[in-house]
Amino acid sequence: MEKIKRITLLLVVTIFSMIMFTAFSGIKDNSKTFQPLNLFPEPPRPAGQTDALELRCDPIDTVHIGIIGLGMRGYGAVYRLSFLKTAKISAICELSQAKVDRALKLLKERKYPEPDVYLGKDEWKKMCQRDDIDLVYIVTNWGNHTPMAVYAMEHGKHAVSEVPAAVTIDECWQLVNTVEKTRKHFMMLENCVYDYFEMATHKMAEEGLFGEIVHAEGSYIHDLRALNFNTTENFGGYWKMWRLEQNAKRNGNLYPTHGFGPLCQIMNIHRGDRMEYVTSVSTNQFGMTQFAKKEFGENSDFAKRKYKNGDMNTSIIRTANGKTLMIQHDVTSPRPYNRRHMISGTKGYACKYPVQEVVLDSDYHSGHHKPLPEDELKKLLKKYEHPIVTEIGKEAKKVGGHGGMDFIMDFRLIYCLNNGLPLDEDVYDAAEWSALAELSEKSVENHGTPVKYPDFTRGAWKKLHKVTYYHK
Amino acid sequence: MKKKFVFLFSFILIAFFLFNACAENKGSDKNKTYEPVELFPEPPRPAGQTDALELRCDPIDTVRIGFIGLGNRGAGAVYRYTFIKGVKIKALCDLEQWKIDRAQKTLEKAGLPKADEYTGEDGWKQLCDRDDIDLVYIVTDWRHHTPMAVYAMEHGKHAVSEVPAAVTIDECWQLVNTVEKTRKHFMQLENCVYDYFEMAEHRMADEGVFGEIVHVEGSYIHDLRAHNFETDEHKGGYWNMWRLKELEKRNGNTYPTHGFGPLCHILNIHRGDRMDYVVSLSSNQFGMTEYAKKKFGEDSDFAKRKYKKGDMNTSIIRTANGKTLMIQHDVTSPRPYSRIQLVSGTKGFACKYPVQQIAIDGKHRKGSHLEPLPEDEMNEMLKKYEHPIVTEIGKEAKKVGGHGGMDFIMDYRLIYCLHNGLPLDQDVYDAAEWSALSELSEKSVKNHGMPIKYPDFTRGAWKKLHKVTYYHK
Repeated sequence: MEKIKRITLLLVVTIFSMIMFTAFSGIKDNSKTFQPLNLFPEPPRPAGQTDALELRCDPIDTVHIGIIGLGMRGYGAVYRLSFLKTAKISAICELSQAKVDRALKLLKERKYPEPDVYLGKDEWKKMCQRDDIDLVYIVTNWGNHTPMAVYAMEHGKHAVSEVPAAVTIDECWQLVNTVEKTRKHFMMLENCVYDYFEMATHKMAEEGLFGEIVHAEGSYIHDLRALNFNTTENFGGYWKMWRLEQNAKRNGNLYPTHGFGPLCQIMNIHRGDRMEYVTSVSTNQFGMTQFAKKEFGENSDFAKRKYKNGDMNTSIIRTANGKTLMIQHDVTSPRPYNRRHMISGTKGYACKYPVQEVVLDSDYHSGHHKPLPEDELKKLLKKYEHPIVTEIGKEAKKVGGHGGMDFIMDFRLIYCLNNGLPLDEDVYDAAEWSALAELSEKSVENHGTPVKYPDFTRGAWKKLHKVTYYHK
Repeated sequence: MKKKFVFLFSFILIAFFLFNACAENKGSDKNKTYEPVELFPEPPRPAGQTDALELRCDPIDTVRIGFIGLGNRGAGAVYRYTFIKGVKIKALCDLEQWKIDRAQKTLEKAGLPKADEYTGEDGWKQLCDRDDIDLVYIVTDWRHHTPMAVYAMEHGKHAVSEVPAAVTIDECWQLVNTVEKTRKHFMQLENCVYDYFEMAEHRMADEGVFGEIVHVEGSYIHDLRAHNFETDEHKGGYWNMWRLKELEKRNGNTYPTHGFGPLCHILNIHRGDRMDYVVSLSSNQFGMTEYAKKKFGEDSDFAKRKYKKGDMNTSIIRTANGKTLMIQHDVTSPRPYSRIQLVSGTKGFACKYPVQQIAIDGKHRKGSHLEPLPEDEMNEMLKKYEHPIVTEIGKEAKKVGGHGGMDFIMDYRLIYCLHNGLPLDQDVYDAAEWSALSELSEKSVKNHGMPIKYPDFTRGAWKKLHKVTYYHK
């Protein structure tokens, strides 16, 4: 009898305590809120490593460059870099002879000394092993950026890569750790940071024209269906259709950096603020299948394949200081090209796409704000022209590359290396901007559940207060 | 005894930790997917009630109307109704006599008879209690929309209210249940559904110009600081500054319907698709305090007050058919007015703000970039797809005015449908769905963007219909 009593008492108490716990931990209870998932906890910094904020390396009089990848973007890079007098293209590397020939022909036409050629699968490693190269310039498909950059840095080279620098959070950490350990530079080649309107708005933000920046929006909206489904092996589609493969396998913001990067720099991310968490939702996939049916027929392989990536992905990020960023990706819908580049603050507003607009609220009037008329906007953009644009903008337009921004980027990279200055975009930028891909994938998979944004600086984000583009 | 107590205590502790460990384990289990949280489960439909989709009521030859609320929007409504045939303005109700006088003057100028006057705390109830009124037209502050509409329907009247129809999910259900029970109409007066570009966009969507619609965007971006902080109602302030109080108390999309409603109609929400879940994030509040400091001084009461509402709120909604809606709210930042009104499909694209654009797949490419239609082609397209309702009444509406005409088209359509015993263009489920975003977003924001299941206000009937229909006799 005593035993039964005891067991009953035990049971009652257990059930009661469990109910109490459920009540206290439940989401419905207002006293406790749901926290973003910590799916990617920061790995502790290996012993002996320190952060690499504003990393400075020895100045290099002439930067000897080895380029890996001579496709669409690589060929353009060869052309642009050939204009820089304090740099030298020492080596080029590719899998395809045709692309090598095309690059050599270009250099010959420009009366440029012929670089060494590395052709074949593991040749890039040999190139990285040389001791007379300072900088490895990586312009391959996404999957090779991090492995090549890590290898290059471990062999004593500075490394830069096309966007995105990394495809996974794990790769982001590889880049961060390798820079922190080797004290070599890594920069992701985010050219849009250097576009003319972006640079002017960056200067306006710095000088307080927008007041406190509250919210920003960026996107990569670019109808790439024709390119993704281009089956031409050389000079047309992507090598082995690698970009279509990415869209077939993953669902999220696969290519986040162009609209995102310039906004992060304007908001001084990891220089006094940091991204805290993100929520992301994708549509279903509609457009790729529809395009494939039309292009290859209802019964074609391409029409029958499964493509995981939803046509439109929208992510919202919140920072530690309570600002938000809205970032989108859509490469299948018939829409005008758009990176948005919208900045909204307590005193002003700017937006690049679909039309350039600036609003200034100096007199605090209210109601329907009219954007500045065209002539005033032009004057303002002239007044806030970024010093770097003043310095090199005209020449950049002549050389070209997305209207000049690509050349400004290359110019700045080489300038900083020549003078031993910190690079404009550091490895934490590369990690933060690239990380959105896997973070958004995870959030999408979990129906938009918020995911904690890793702090790639491991606590050092309060050390600096702003992004600085250094001059000697 | 002491031993027993220790044993019991340790047992409770172990049970607690075990449970705790299990709960935490959920968080780190990468193989489990998180589902949207059902914070607002659908209450079962009371016995004897059926859904009210495409509800038809007896035709009414002359619609007798009582107006509650004669402020900013109410005065405009009375003015517009002086132009509509087949109606009688029977009663006017407000708490303040000067507003009633102003409305009477509007009637007088139009050569119409004076309406009966109701004032005082319970004036509106007396108005609803009459048996010679068909329609109660509610244009008060947000908090009174649902209680007044419910009371009106329970007293045998059709009811319409300004936006948002409801402030909480509970109020949304009150509206739905009252319509289902009383079989009276309720319509939320979402005027933007009737704006010219929106209507053309709707027709293009109907006729397949955009292909399968994949993603849409809407917003209410309107710098209302001067209105919200205006203490004098004669200078554009709100009655008792009620709108500022809403921003003090709530953080989310507190005013979602203008950008949202037209998009839901274009997506045929609860007519073959439904909103499945929503995530929402707000920025901190910066702009109101900054404005208050500047206008009233650093040490003023307004500058020191806490405003919960973050300047910018962004929500993403996903539908059962895999489409997304991005909806924003910002009434404090100095930005051009915008409702975005963007529609993106597999074959075409349209957008209203900041510039009207239409792009059609295969037309006007520059390299790898699709260009919007040149202005003349866009205008041709807008003409070609002009909505029949706009063709019918658009010109007259522009003359009468009210946000450029759309307010009048809305009133015209409401009365037209009541005259002819037709289903209204916007039903009570629209009202509930569009208004619900405010509390849903508040809850998501509070939980750091946690996804929340969108209630199905039709309780399973959303597959019955296949598209939104604006009926004609």
